[in-house]
Amino acid sequence: MIRDITLGQFFPGNSVIHRLDPRMKIILTVVFIVFIFLAESAVSYALMFLAVVLLLIISKLPLKPVLRGIKPIMFIIVFTAVINIFWTKGDHLLVEWKFIHIYAEGLLFAFYMVLRIVCLITGTSILLTYTTSPINLTDGIEQLLAPLKKIKLPVHEFSMMMSIALRFIPTLIEETDKIMNAQKARGADFTSGSLLRRAKALIPVLIPLFVSSIRRADDLATAMECRCYRGGSGRTRMKSLKYKALDFIFLFITVLMCAGVVLINIYLPVLVV
Amino acid sequence: MAELTLKDVSYIYSAGTPFEKKALDNVNISFKSGVITGLIGHTGSGKSTLVQLLNGLLEPTEGTILLDGEDIWKNPKDITSVRFKVGLVMQYPEYQLFEETVRKDIAYGPTNMKLEKEEIEKRVSEAAFFCGITDEYFDKSPFDLSGGQKRRVAIAGVMAMKPGILILDEPAAGLDPIGREEILGGIRTFQRQTGTTVIIVSHSMEDMAVYCDEIVVMNKASVYMQGKTSDIFAQSDKLIEVGLDVPQITHLFKKMRSMGLNVPENVFTVDSAIKATLLALEKRGGAR
Repeated sequence: MIRDITLGQFFPGNSVIHRLDPRMKIILTVVFIVFIFLAESAVSYALMFLAVVLLLIISKLPLKPVLRGIKPIMFIIVFTAVINIFWTKGDHLLVEWKFIHIYAEGLLFAFYMVLRIVCLITGTSILLTYTTSPINLTDGIEQLLAPLKKIKLPVHEFSMMMSIALRFIPTLIEETDKIMNAQKARGADFTSGSLLRRAKALIPVLIPLFVSSIRRADDLATAMECRCYRGGSGRTRMKSLKYKALDFIFLFITVLMCAGVVLINIYLPVLVV
Repeated sequence: MAELTLKDVSYIYSAGTPFEKKALDNVNISFKSGVITGLIGHTGSGKSTLVQLLNGLLEPTEGTILLDGEDIWKNPKDITSVRFKVGLVMQYPEYQLFEETVRKDIAYGPTNMKLEKEEIEKRVSEAAFFCGITDEYFDKSPFDLSGGQKRRVAIAGVMAMKPGILILDEPAAGLDPIGREEILGGIRTFQRQTGTTVIIVSHSMEDMAVYCDEIVVMNKASVYMQGKTSDIFAQSDKLIEVGLDVPQITHLFKKMRSMGLNVPENVFTVDSAIKATLLALEKRGGAR
């Protein structure tokens, strides 16, 4: 049950997207987001959709889990669509009933907004979370933020904390499962009663969980100490990241698309084709 | 005394996904009531899945589990009452302690059963007695105790529910010999005095030989052997075949026999070994 919660799902693979440098993937994601927010006309929306479909194809990811990633933001999508449908004013009135006015423009805007959000979520998750292992991701972040070391920001420590946090999520889920089972065996009931009762029923799970987390953190600190961990200064890495030709090709294409969208916005500013 | 029977029980983890794994395959077994049964098996043979099925933490994919002749999943809403009748002590139970005092922690189960205050107190002191927890610990925080003491408090917490069947998953794992003896001895005293059906999962053949009346051997998701402790350990070849073993002392006596010494073959505990050795020496002395 609790094990079913998926967090930052990484799908191991060996596609072109998987092989991109994590630093470049983070940069690409930022450029991609800019690209999505620049899109304003029908042609650029089509281009945006096409880009996401292409990403999905070359990443060789299964379609189902990618689509499942949209589920958590379904509320935002529906909310955006409703707001746009009812509150956009235009020239082509479609429905008029009491205080409700629905314009063709509203429907179109709602459609574009939904498309934009879906593309944003699936595009960035294909580029980053689905195809980059958490370790690579934190490595990438660390190296991208490396210049901040100049102003005495503890970049390495920050990324180490992040890797450790990510590493222990599955362990904690397993631990929670175990403790919940143990308390259930003693008659705990987590599923019935009022909200307050249920919250109270969680105390016997949370306290042992806190205790064991602190113990685990202490053990880990000792283990790191034993292996002479002294933070980032003078530390070399087993896997050093190197940009390859492929990374620059992707960057080039993405920047080109951005430029394309700007040009389309200027020369083809139509909403309907 | 309670009766626990499994009929054609199968359990599949993550059914319907690529990660599907059959943990139990068509298991038919009846646990003898009023005795201590030892459950042994190689890692991954399905022991832990089995014990979680027995008290309704997992629902069988197929088949039924009968408690006193009644399907425990007949009324899924009432599964908590099954958990009161079939007490389960999980592996490393000391990590489930959470209350401010030892007394309150042991009382957690009985309180969930909505018993009278006096009854709860009575049960807490009874359970504490069997687990060797003296009065001076009652008002201490469970987090201030040693590992072995914590373990005993956690076991007492389940015993205090007075289940008809008590299941313990590796109750003595990771303890020193004295700690093992205290816990397993306490469980045996509890069993002998209350007549509860007890099922112990363990990897230690020595402990099993000393404390269990019956043995169930699991292998590859099904029941491999079941019978009296002495009968099971007499078949050492069959046990070794599935990656298990017989107690060290049994090996020693076999070796002694093969060297031509006149000692009995089926010796499983150190106590009986001492007796057998003394007897053999006496015979020899008499012959001289």
